[in-house]
Parts: sequence; structure tokens; C-alpha cells
Amino acid sequence: MDSINPIPPQVPPQIPPVAPLYPAAPKPPGETPEERAPIPNLMTVVEAILRQPQRVMYQLRQPGAGRLIALMLLAALVCSLVYGVVVGTFSGGSQLWIAPVKIAGGLFVSVLICLPSLYIFACLSGSQARLVEMFGLVAGLLMLMTLLLLGFAPVAWLFSQSTASVNWMGTLHLLFWGIATLFGLRFIEAGFSHSQARSNAGFNTWVIILILVVLQMTTALRPIVGTADSFLPKEKKFFLNYWGECLKSSPEGSLAAH
Amino acid sequence: MQTLKLNRGDIGVLLRGGSRPIRSWSEQWDAQRLALHLGVIVVGAGSYGAAMGWWRDPLQAAYVAAKFPLILLLTAAGNALLNAMLAPLLGLNIPFRQSFLAILMSFTMAAAILGSFSPLVAFLVWNTPPLSAGMHISRAAYSFIQLTHVAVIAFAGLAANLRLMHLLRDLSGDAGVARRVLLAWVAGNLFLGSQLSWILRPFIGSPGLPVEFLRATALNGNFYETVFRAARHLLNFD
Repeated sequence: MDSINPIPPQVPPQIPPVAPLYPAAPKPPGETPEERAPIPNLMTVVEAILRQPQRVMYQLRQPGAGRLIALMLLAALVCSLVYGVVVGTFSGGSQLWIAPVKIAGGLFVSVLICLPSLYIFACLSGSQARLVEMFGLVAGLLMLMTLLLLGFAPVAWLFSQSTASVNWMGTLHLLFWGIATLFGLRFIEAGFSHSQARSNAGFNTWVIILILVVLQMTTALRPIVGTADSFLPKEKKFFLNYWGECLKSSPEGSLAAH
Repeated sequence: MQTLKLNRGDIGVLLRGGSRPIRSWSEQWDAQRLALHLGVIVVGAGSYGAAMGWWRDPLQAAYVAAKFPLILLLTAAGNALLNAMLAPLLGLNIPFRQSFLAILMSFTMAAAILGSFSPLVAFLVWNTPPLSAGMHISRAAYSFIQLTHVAVIAFAGLAANLRLMHLLRDLSGDAGVARRVLLAWVAGNLFLGSQLSWILRPFIGSPGLPVEFLRATALNGNFYETVFRAARHLLNFD
């Protein structure tokens, strides 16, 4: 006798296809022979980071990436020192050496103190990147950022010669740094996307931390644009409080205390 | 390899936006062509500057004839490195030479257009009461001359940038990339160009002030501070 079985057959329910978290991941570095070409010197690394960032990312995964990282850090050091001299031309005198030292030192220290957290966030996100690769990406960020600052240097110099407002010059340098950082972060994000991370949340958090650290560094190392009696400030301040004080003090700004 | 011969029709090709020859010009240094572009900038922008300054004084005309091309050339040179870096970062992988020549060619186009308008502006100035010292000039006439200059310069800039856009689209094969690069270049060039114009003032001149190449206050303050202060004043924040 036929009977109707009220229990449905044991077929597992079909899971609808889930859209990938990150649509269309870019091609991994080293797919073309050009991307696998070694980066022997400073000029090549500058060219590569601007035109073939995938080549830099590929080389950072190869043995002997230390030399490439050293070249990128050297380029970043030279560019940040040159830009620092341009910043120093606003006040002249001792700021011609103080500003480059503070800018180069501040950028390097900021990035260095953020590196461990980047590595931890990367690991928590499931990234397979090694610490040396993360260090290389951070060196690339620093180099690209300072290269762009070098590109802005003629404009910054022109403005520094034609204004007496420290607030204005500070804002202009922050604007240039912001644009340069945007491109630098694009590079490091592209590198991060190849590290098999499951999520970008950790990386995005790290970006916010880095930006806050660099902004705080501008206050911790003040004055960079203006002049002061001492190399470092005697009073500790949070950068937002400090900026508020600068804006309230005078729309023109005073050379001292910035 | 085909040898590029310089001829008088080059400027016509540039203005018509013939993408193939313009692209080939941007791919290699050619001293003669570079000299032609510089010549057009000096003569075109210079003659427009002369027509602009002539309203105030013949000496002012000579000064502005020198200053106008200087603004274009200093802007191209000052932003050359930055523009060359921005192009590959925004997706257009061209060398320094090509980005510099592309911008120089767009400035050449703008200068050629300005030069072509210079007789018209000179005629307009000739029909306007003189702006010399001690003369009274109506606000309406001054505003009309100012607006004419704004319209002509805006037209020249727009036409040159449209041609530059065609070239960038041709080079990148992607309208989005071309748009991004053009916007970045234009923003940078406007930012620097505005400040250079501020430093190199006066252009039209004022009947109450002496004729001079640069004001004594040329390096006091900048264009954006002045605009900011004017806005504050207008909105009664002072």
C-alpha cells in the first residue's frame, strides 16, 4: 500500500552562494616578468613604487627583501629631510635644520611605533604576511608619502615666502601631508589585500591609529613651522586642544609656539 | 622611425586636437617643437598681457607682457614633479617627459587662444576711457573689462583642458583615469597658478597706484588668505 511519508528526505538545505567579502581581488604580485624584475638601486625603487607597485610588493616577499627596504627607507629619509628644509625656510635660522630633523624623525618614529600593531591586526585578520613584509609595506608607505611631499615642495616653498601666517602654513603642510598619506595608504592597502586577510577591519583601524599618531607627533614635536626657545615643547598637549588654541589665539598666528 | 618635421601647421593640429600627432609629440623631446611651444606661450600670453596692461599705461603693458607667460611657465615647471608622480598613481603610466610635455602643450593651446583674443581686448581697451593716473573711471567700465578678461581666460583654460582630456583619454584608454588625472593636474596648477598671479600682481593696474613690475607688498600674504579674509569680512566674522 502506498503511503505518504510526512518526513521529507534527509537532503541538506542548499546554501545560497555568498558574495565574496572583497570583490574581484587584484592579481597577485609577480604575475608578469616585469613584476618579477629585481629592484637594484634607488632610482629603480622610486620608479617602481610610482609605476609598478606590484613589483615592489613581489620583491618584498622574496629573500633579501632587506636591501629593498633599506633603499626605500633611505629614499624616505632624503625626501623628508629635503621637504623639512623647505618647511624650515618659512622661519629660517635654526629652523632650517630643526624642521627637517623633526619631520624626518617624527615620520619615522610614528611609523615605527605603529608597525607592531599593524602586524598584530594583520595576524588577527588572518593575513599570511610576515613581519618583514609588513615592515616593507610600511617603508613603501613612508617612501611614497615623502616622495609626494617632495613633489609639493616647490609649491610649499613659494607659499612659505609669501605669507607670515603660521596657521596658514601649518594648514597647507597638513593638506599636503594628507594628500601624500592618501596615496601612501593606497599602496599599503593594496599590499595588505594580497596577504589573504579575511577582513579589512583591522587594517582600517590601524590606518586611523597611524593618522592620529602622526597628528599627535606634530604637536609633540612643536614648533615645526614656527620658532621657539627650546627644541621640544615644555607642556604636553593633545593635538586637537593645541589646534584650537592656535586658531583662537590669532587668525594670523604667531611665529612662536607653532 | 618617422622624423617629425616642425611646421607652422603644428599649432593648428594642436588646436584641432589631432590625437595621433599630439600623442607622438608628447612621447619624445624635440628641441624645435619645444621652442615652438615656448614661443607660442611667450608671444600668445605676452600679447594678451600687453593688451591687458595697456589700459593703465604702455609701461604696464610691457610688464604684463612679461609676467603673463611667466605665470604659465613657472606653473608648468613648479608642478612638473608633482604632476609626473600623480599620473601613474592615478592610473596613467606615463614618464615625466610625457606629463610635462602634455601640460606644456595645453598651456600652449591656452596661450594661442589668448593671443588670438589680444587684438579684440586691445580694441576694447582702446574704446574704454583711459585708466591713467588722475583719471576717473566708472565702476561699470572697470567691472566690464575685468569680466571680459575672466571670460576670455576661462574660455582659453577650458578649451586647453578639453584638448588635454582628449590626449589623456587617448594615452590611458580609460575615460575615468583621464578624468582623475586631469582633475588632479588642474587642481594643482590652479593652486600654484593663483598664488603666482597674486605675487606677480598688478595686471590691470589701478589709477591710484604707480606703474610697477611688482608691488612692494608682493610677498606679503597670499591669494587664499586674502580670499579667506574677504569672506570673513563679508560674513561679519571680524
